Amino acid sequence: MGETATREDRPLQEISGPARASAAAILGTDFPGMRPRFEVAEGDRVGCGQLLFRDRKHPQIAFVAPISGRVATLQHGPRRTLSLVVIEAGDAGAGAVAPDVPDRGRVRQELLARGFWPAFRSRPFGHMPHPEARPSAIVVNAVRKTPQAPDPAGVLAAQQADFNDGLDCLTQLTDGQVFVCQSPGDPLAAVTGRITCAAFSGTRAAGFAGTQIDHLCPPTPGGEVWTIGYQDVAAIGQLFRTGIYASERVVSVSGRHVGQPRRLRAVLGLRLADVAERDAGVALSGDALTGHPAAYLSRFDDQITQVAQRRAGPGASWLRRLGGRTDALIPNRALDRALAVNIPTVPLLRALASGDAEEAARLGCLALVEEDVAALSRRCTSGADYPRLLRQVLDTLGKDAA
Amino acid sequence: MTRQGRPWPSGVTMVQILALCAPCAVVVAGDLVTRLPILIAAVIAALGLEALFAVLRRRDPGVDGLTTALIFATLCPAETAIWQVAVCVSLGVVLGELVFGGRGFGFLHPATVGLALLVLSFPQLGFAPPSQALALATLPGAAMLLALGLISGRVLLAAVATAAGLYALGGPVTAPLALATGLAFGLVFLIADPVAAASTTTGRWVYGALAGGLVAVFSPPGEITSQAVVFAALMAGIFAPLIDRLVVIAHVARWRRRHGD
Repeated sequence: MGETATREDRPLQEISGPARASAAAILGTDFPGMRPRFEVAEGDRVGCGQLLFRDRKHPQIAFVAPISGRVATLQHGPRRTLSLVVIEAGDAGAGAVAPDVPDRGRVRQELLARGFWPAFRSRPFGHMPHPEARPSAIVVNAVRKTPQAPDPAGVLAAQQADFNDGLDCLTQLTDGQVFVCQSPGDPLAAVTGRITCAAFSGTRAAGFAGTQIDHLCPPTPGGEVWTIGYQDVAAIGQLFRTGIYASERVVSVSGRHVGQPRRLRAVLGLRLADVAERDAGVALSGDALTGHPAAYLSRFDDQITQVAQRRAGPGASWLRRLGGRTDALIPNRALDRALAVNIPTVPLLRALASGDAEEAARLGCLALVEEDVAALSRRCTSGADYPRLLRQVLDTLGKDAA
Repeated sequence: MTRQGRPWPSGVTMVQILALCAPCAVVVAGDLVTRLPILIAAVIAALGLEALFAVLRRRDPGVDGLTTALIFATLCPAETAIWQVAVCVSLGVVLGELVFGGRGFGFLHPATVGLALLVLSFPQLGFAPPSQALALATLPGAAMLLALGLISGRVLLAAVATAAGLYALGGPVTAPLALATGLAFGLVFLIADPVAAASTTTGRWVYGALAGGLVAVFSPPGEITSQAVVFAALMAGIFAPLIDRLVVIAHVARWRRRHGD
């Protein structure tokens, strides 16, 4: 659909049936700083869609079980934040959740209570949005991030009505536009006065919500923009149509040593060992460049990549690999082109590297999250970890704002 | 990936040394007896101070000073005494980068600083105009640096265009080739140096134009001297952070206006 299938990604066009999951997890790393108040105990039997815990700060926000089974692990991290919740697949027992069609007049309350709030991320800061907040726009990211990722057009073909329904629900959360960002091709959604399709292509950065927001609707001071994945929107549509919490997403499994790259339906927070090929290397949650070795799939990844040997740290710039140690930032062209948003790169990097939060904010770092600056670390001669530096600056700014 | 403990050039320095080999070889081979001692003295002074600072700061020594020494030995007059070379290179390396923490942390090229000190302190030294062979030998290195993105084409273009424009204003240019010969080496290795130059897109145009304009203003009519290029690089380099600052302020103001703040 609008995209030429290359030889490499043709095998991915078919979606194989639901992968048998032995366990699924909700990861603390996906929700940094969030403190849970558990509503179940280890050993309890829960059904798919059943409440597991609430955000201690905003008890309206519910996190629900992605699969039916037994609660195997409830783990706190530092300062009582969430570390890990694992559900082992099995019989729901008494916990089975009956379908319950939600009220379309109360979209916000239903999304909060039925476990869809964690699907949203808000800019600035890149955290889960406040339950009462009204964004100036919502960006639905349906750009195919890499050739190995599932093709959104193919995935949504079977869920067109649900996707449009979900978008309609999103318009009730904002006073502004709902943007569907997609790869060039036929519009993925029915365009209405409140729903707009925008095509992005070219570099990797086209798949980052930060780039899309920068082009469509940069957050104004005091305002915020939310982002959400396209499969989550379809799942929201399904919730309001059938009353069932849909936790299955299409993910892809690929890698140099994976015999047949494939797409399959898998639950959120899937255990990677369940779908990874044996002897095909370490399974990464994410793509080959930005993925990280993990036991469970991140809430926000739709790609599993298997690599033979995990490199130490992100791939460094050729200038860095060529020579010896340097800690300095030497401006060069690779660096100028690494940031897709309209921000002067070198001044931003200097502000981040020196921890000058005020200057970084003036330059526009509030519109960015970690993934937007990950490419800079690979290209900078200093080898600084810019995603981490950006997070520190954002945390500082968030504390000042609070 | 890193070679701990052993002095080894960083990737950027390695590429720059490679680019400098040909022009430096042309000059040194042209007058081996006087130029070779100058080169050796410059290298010893630059690397010695870098090693000293590495020991004082308890860090791995770098060899970024090599590019400084090569540029200095290429541009300085043949009759420069060894002690003058040693003093100027040392001061250039220390004041230009080592006091800031090394290559990439300062805002000027140490060779620019060293050469400017040489011109100021020993005005009796006569800088010979750069030879055509030197200008030709600069070209492959310049092409490589440009292709690898280690110098900005914007800076080169803006500098050449401004200098040419100013000379054209002053009357008919009789020897454009001589002008280009005088400018080439200093433009590529001093003015366009990534650390010294401005680092924003608009800033690079402004910086290049400023440097080219200063070269024309500092030079006697009808020719471009090495002293003029060195001082243009020094002045433009001093203003580069200010240019970047103004570009950022303009960027922020434009952004706010567009998004209604």
